[in-house]
Amino acid sequence: MSLVDLEISRRTFFTAGAATMAAAGLLPRAAHAATDGTPWYRQGAIETTFGVCDMCPWRCGIVVSSVNGEVRKIDGNPADPKSRGMLCARGQGGVSFMNDPDRLQAPMMRSGKRGEGSFEEVSWEQALDFIADKLLEIKERSGPEALAIFGHTSGEYWFTDHFSQAWGTPNAAKPSSSLCLSPREEAAQLTLGMGVGGHEPVDWDGLRCLTLIGSHIGEDTRNTVMQDFADMWGDGGKVIVVDPRFSSVATKADHWLPIKPGTDTALLLAWLNVLVTEELYDADYVRGWTTGFDRLAAHVADKSPAWAASITDLSEGQIIETARVMAERKPQSVIMPGRHVTWYGNDTQRLRATYLVNALLGAYGRRGGMYFNKAPYLEEYPHPPYAVAGSAGGCSAGAAETSDELPLGPSGKARADGARETFLRGATALQELIDPMITGDPYRIEGLIVYGTNLLNSVPNKPRTREALAALDLVVAIDVLPQEHVAWADVVLPESTYLERYDTLWSVSHKTPYIAMREPAVAPMYQTRPAWWMARELGLRVGLDAYFGWETIEEYLDRELRSVGSSLDEMRANDGIIIQNGKPYLEDYDGASPFHTPSEKIELFSQQLADAGFDPIPEYESTPEPPRGFYRLLYGRHPVHTFAKTQNTPALNERYPTNEVWINAQAAASEGIRDGQEVWLENQDGARSGPIAVKATERIRSDAVFMPHGFGQNAPGLTRAHGKGASDTELQTDYALDPISGGAGMRINFVKIVTEV
Amino acid sequence: MATTVEHEHQVLRYRTKQRIVHALLATSFVVLLLTGLVLLWDPLGWLAAGGWSRLIHRIGAIGFLAVPAAYLILDRKGARELVYDSFRYDRDDIEWFKTMYRYFLGHAVEMPPQGRLNAGQKLHHAAVMLVSATVVVSGLAMWFFKPQLGASGLAAAAVIHDLSMLALTLFLIGHLYFTYVYKAISGMTTGWVEEADARLEHSKWMDELDAQAEAVTVGSGASSHDEVSQEDQSQEDQSQEG
Amino acid sequence: MAQAFVLDLGRCIGCEACALACKTGNELPTGVSYIELIEQVRGSFPDLEGGFDNHRCLHCQDAACVAVCPTGALYKEDGLTRLNTPACSGCEYCVTSCPYDVPRMVDGASTKCDGCKATTDAGGGPWCVSTCPSKALEYGERSEMLRTARTRAEALRAHYPNAQVYGETQAGGLGVILVLPDDPEVLGLPRDPDPPTVANVWQGVVQPVSIGLIGATAVAAGVAGVIARRNHMAELRDIEEAEQLVGDGDSSEEA
Repeated sequence: MSLVDLEISRRTFFTAGAATMAAAGLLPRAAHAATDGTPWYRQGAIETTFGVCDMCPWRCGIVVSSVNGEVRKIDGNPADPKSRGMLCARGQGGVSFMNDPDRLQAPMMRSGKRGEGSFEEVSWEQALDFIADKLLEIKERSGPEALAIFGHTSGEYWFTDHFSQAWGTPNAAKPSSSLCLSPREEAAQLTLGMGVGGHEPVDWDGLRCLTLIGSHIGEDTRNTVMQDFADMWGDGGKVIVVDPRFSSVATKADHWLPIKPGTDTALLLAWLNVLVTEELYDADYVRGWTTGFDRLAAHVADKSPAWAASITDLSEGQIIETARVMAERKPQSVIMPGRHVTWYGNDTQRLRATYLVNALLGAYGRRGGMYFNKAPYLEEYPHPPYAVAGSAGGCSAGAAETSDELPLGPSGKARADGARETFLRGATALQELIDPMITGDPYRIEGLIVYGTNLLNSVPNKPRTREALAALDLVVAIDVLPQEHVAWADVVLPESTYLERYDTLWSVSHKTPYIAMREPAVAPMYQTRPAWWMARELGLRVGLDAYFGWETIEEYLDRELRSVGSSLDEMRANDGIIIQNGKPYLEDYDGASPFHTPSEKIELFSQQLADAGFDPIPEYESTPEPPRGFYRLLYGRHPVHTFAKTQNTPALNERYPTNEVWINAQAAASEGIRDGQEVWLENQDGARSGPIAVKATERIRSDAVFMPHGFGQNAPGLTRAHGKGASDTELQTDYALDPISGGAGMRINFVKIVTEV
Repeated sequence: MATTVEHEHQVLRYRTKQRIVHALLATSFVVLLLTGLVLLWDPLGWLAAGGWSRLIHRIGAIGFLAVPAAYLILDRKGARELVYDSFRYDRDDIEWFKTMYRYFLGHAVEMPPQGRLNAGQKLHHAAVMLVSATVVVSGLAMWFFKPQLGASGLAAAAVIHDLSMLALTLFLIGHLYFTYVYKAISGMTTGWVEEADARLEHSKWMDELDAQAEAVTVGSGASSHDEVSQEDQSQEDQSQEG
Repeated sequence: MAQAFVLDLGRCIGCEACALACKTGNELPTGVSYIELIEQVRGSFPDLEGGFDNHRCLHCQDAACVAVCPTGALYKEDGLTRLNTPACSGCEYCVTSCPYDVPRMVDGASTKCDGCKATTDAGGGPWCVSTCPSKALEYGERSEMLRTARTRAEALRAHYPNAQVYGETQAGGLGVILVLPDDPEVLGLPRDPDPPTVANVWQGVVQPVSIGLIGATAVAAGVAGVIARRNHMAELRDIEEAEQLVGDGDSSEEA
């Protein structure tokens, strides 16, 4: 300790001295902290711990370096199949995220009105006792189903999966389902009989043609995908990018198709048309592994490239050429499923059309195409049967429940999100649980636990969310940062970051299934606690002791690891990773079908959809176009930020402190708007956000504007992010419910540019 | 020839104002030279670390500009006299240059008769004025117009600045050399020099002074080469020459 | 042994991982950054091409910044341009002289990449290289890196027919050898940056000559001054003696 103490005191002295002299106007140069200190790795012995990154949902394996009890650097874990020793900008920013002085530091209870943000600090005992009493009250009065639990980020399992099922509420939901992946997962279940899973199973090694529709590699900086993409592209692989915007990855594209937003399905149908009419599809594969090809062929017969060209604003030649490029390289040619796919409300059908192209290219289960991922074997810590089956889904949970029967809670109530009535199937739709909080239809949700979900910066229709937050009997916010919605909580529980805590084991569905561990690099800062501790303490207070049968988290983890013949110590000794064998290719199934559809084949024609009254083969449905003077609002990522989570992180905030709105340069000029000008955006319902700087650019179509998501936050406690830029969520007052998956299509909002307010 | 008791057999060569200006200018020049030298000579480079030498150099630069400017404003006559003297050379001056090596070696005797400033001093002053202009212009350019200069422009300005300073430093050495050889320091410290020395080296000036003194004595009864009379005299000098 | 980086701008996708790895690994204070990713897109919709410029020190072998640095704060070592910040005088000559507009003044001192001197001295690799997910960066012996760069340029031609190596000879050879997707002019790089000729004359000729001349003149003046003063004193004595012989009153008073 003495070394670091000396270092700190010396540096403090130097800075103080420099500040005094600078104030007196005497100092030509202030102290340069970077270079007059010993580098951190020379200040003492480096202790390394293994972890799983939580700066985005991708979950790279990391090695955390600490010196003298302080985390100093995070690197990718070379043994981890996702990070392979590398890390993205956000992952590098983890130390800064942990040391953000704006963090929630102690449990608090509301002392003013909801939304005011007045709190007083309380002890953990007080906070947990209060919540437990309220939960039991709600349960007594209205049944356990009246509690909703929303979860996001890596500790979500403890609340949204484990606690919710033990407690007995089917109303546990994750934004990663219905605000992100649900259409992709349901389309895959319907077509392939399997989910896509957290890691899109593109078999990069050997891939020769990649098609991206609205995927933004490089802006969406998922580490592994960037690595794989670079290797594939570097080896000369073809890249086709379909995007209204000349995105980062479009700069690498051999073919960029600047499609009119909302018309992707027309393009996909035309591609199918070319593959069929020019007989470019993999005939043997189609014969062996698919059903409904003839009906598909008949269906796409009139979906000619010329037809699609008139809809998509692309040329007939472009459509034909790209279809041929894809087909020439089959089956090492795939359209990547993508991540955030809730765009226009008809998204499951669009994703199905995507999978149909892949199927005709013979990609599934083929080397260099799409592999089958497999979950690792790992037994859960023993517990009594859950009171209700979980259906929260999520991006790392694999496929959601597919049973036709909706699970019922202990008092006989099914999910309140309208599943089976307003939409067909899939994981619980988070945004559909907001109405029942206000209307009581089908029954009233009275309490809400929000774990790590940035409610007011991710769920469309903010006014409705605020109304719901005001109407609830109990709101508990568990978070690392004082996010906007935290101001609406009755009780705020401060969580330790991923660098300060143990967590569940990550069993990752992958080409090579693997298990990763997270261990604390340092003790929890302030009075923060990990999610597992909070869930257990709450569980013990509401009679769920049997579900938390372990005394320490080490015991819990050790018990689970024993099921795969390992232990916590052994795992630590093995770089924190256990890798198992997968079954990635068709030949690994010895002639049996890996496709768990009713027909055991890839269902080009879906009888399930036909039976439910939907198009059995995707049809193009137009989406409303922006009214005169309005642009379609598109949103996405900036490479150094994740969702609305990292905007306040000092090191990342410094790189990109505020967002800008991309407007086509000609369109901006005709509106008399300059590049860099501060404007406000106003949507079709009069919702307004800004000010935001204009980026007048050739890189976007003139019928849409684009902005990185997660800015314009209205949370005074986030001193760096508060009020910087504009919020896309604020402008998403409307969304289109996908009638198949329950996904919330958010690209149906339009904005106009307002130069003066 | 009459003198005051205090400065018996002495003659006033530089008035207080002039001496102050000289001292200030000399100080700022030395500051500039030393703080510039740390950048010029690599072994001294460490002295520039942290930017202190630059700060001092810039303060010196302000002094080096402000002092002559102030002199121009406060003593326009003196300044004008100095400029006139420095750029006017008569036949004796030419002759003086021809035999300058003798003067250089310490032989003032038999040098052509010289005025208040000898030909070498005139040339020194003239050169200092001209070269100071280039050092100032190049210095200001490096201070305020680095981005506009660009890489080559900056280096060129630095070359001009360095060469100008080289010249000024060599002039300084010469200046100090003659001051030492001819024991001339008192002219700038007290302002007074030995009349004998002045008669030897600046005989034309002394002749003029004698003529003036006689005229004044006849006219007003004043009896010494005091500052007032000298100022009057210089005025007359100018009117004659102009 | 000269070390060098390879930076494959064809592969770079602008993710900024390098910039943050540099920032966190070197614990650079707020406001200091050694790598900036700059969008570089040309053309007009929909005929666009481009990528990302990595604005960072290219470690010229004939480094103009080193040539002009008066304090030795900037210096060459192992083929890389190091920066000893405490020695910096803040003269900004490097800022003006860099053909690639790299050094920035932060808190009155020059600030730029020093090739991770501390890290490599400690046995590590530069932070940016080890984290780059696009594998656009490599670090090693310069001759080896040149070969790698050529191989990469060849591979890049699958997408960019005009891909080429930049930095083999520019500025005496760069310590960051770039693999460019197109001609340097197209990407805003000088095909051949002007060599720092005037700066070399300044630092290499004018400065030493000045020092030498000043020193030599001062010594010569010292020696000559002693002789000349002796001559002058003798002369004055002669005059005095002559005047005494004449018997002039004024002169005798003075003696």
